[in-house]
Amino acid sequence: MNLMTLQRYRNEIILLIALLFALFAFMFRLSANTYVQENKLSIQQQVSEITKISNYQKQWDGKKVPNKIKILKTIVNKSKVKSFQKKSKKLIASYVNLTANELNKINNKLLNIPVQIVNLQIDEKSKNQFTMELTCKW
Amino acid sequence: MNLTAKSNNRLLIHKNMEPVTLKNSVDIILTPQFYTFLREDLDLNFAYQAKQIAPSLFDGYIDSSIEHQYYVYKCDKNWCFFAYNIDEIDLFLESVGIEKHRVSKIYFIQQIADELTEPILLSEKSVLLNIDDVLTITPKRILNKELTYQTLDLDGFKFKGGVTMGAALNSFVSLKETIILSSLLFILGTVFMVEGNRIKSSIATENEQLSALLDENPKYASGLLRSSILEKYQPIDSNERLKRESIKEISKFLSAKSQLKSLTINEKSIKVNITTSNNSINKQIKEHATAKNFKTSGAGLNLKVEKKL
Repeated sequence: MNLMTLQRYRNEIILLIALLFALFAFMFRLSANTYVQENKLSIQQQVSEITKISNYQKQWDGKKVPNKIKILKTIVNKSKVKSFQKKSKKLIASYVNLTANELNKINNKLLNIPVQIVNLQIDEKSKNQFTMELTCKW
Repeated sequence: MNLTAKSNNRLLIHKNMEPVTLKNSVDIILTPQFYTFLREDLDLNFAYQAKQIAPSLFDGYIDSSIEHQYYVYKCDKNWCFFAYNIDEIDLFLESVGIEKHRVSKIYFIQQIADELTEPILLSEKSVLLNIDDVLTITPKRILNKELTYQTLDLDGFKFKGGVTMGAALNSFVSLKETIILSSLLFILGTVFMVEGNRIKSSIATENEQLSALLDENPKYASGLLRSSILEKYQPIDSNERLKRESIKEISKFLSAKSQLKSLTINEKSIKVNITTSNNSINKQIKEHATAKNFKTSGAGLNLKVEKKL
């Protein structure tokens, strides 16, 4: 192909280059679309999983529980704490002669401490007198 | 690749010229032997309009059985029309040793007619003569022998426009169509590129967020590890939340007219015994408990509320 031929088909060559550019750009747009469709969901899922894990670990890793759980021993009068045994990552506590208010106080505190309630047993022994058995772990 | 090959070297083409050997590209200047010229006073605004009517203007002047090409430009208040046959020019150029690819542009000697007032000796037999602003080839023998001739230095003149060999050989697509279509395709391509970039950058935020999270906790890059940690914590989280929500809901059932008798929570269920002061309270609690997905049972004023975990 000599220069003459190139000059003769100059217009066609310019058009061909413009067409190739448009085609290349169209392919680029298609590939961008495919890339986003394939990756967006996966990235969002990964972000969601890592965020969830961080939140779960912050909430349920039990590192601050030993300190927080001490309040359950002092929240009511000593005489009403029948037993309070903290072993490893487990608590077994027993309360007697609790009034409705004291029962509510213990419950509210317990619900705000990130422990796994293994067993909770509340019984009314007489009017406005309750016993409470609690086993929890973390 | 130079598609608009231009050169300052100019060569006057006439039929009595000697063969030449070229090493560089040249612009060729055609003498009237290779074109037919018309000057017309027409009320036209654009060259393309003039070019459209050019074939009809040359009716009777040129051989209509031969395909001609046309070149038009505005000269003062008139329009200057040139009709030429590119094949004839092509053949002649070959015969004098000028290869097609050496020809950058074709001009017409008529374009500098204003500046060629004196006759120019082309060969021993022919003279280029300006007659009423039209350059013509005349046999030397009919002219006055004492006539003085002008020396022609083509490089000293300024030629405008001109045609390329390619354009003269009739491209399939006209320059105007090429410009319009190429511009449209270019704009379309640019739009696609911009849109593609915008689409790609639409997940940039998510990508950055993920990178930041992974920088903090590189071990979470492993999908298996994430699944295993989630499998450990998800049941604990959902179970404990359910237990706490259930206790809060049960506390809403209790009042001065409905008192807690016992409550049992273990890993599998929540069971509550409530004593109510009358049947309407009993019924009310049953409705609320059912609405909160508790199972209710019991006789009289005693009510059992239960939920599986």
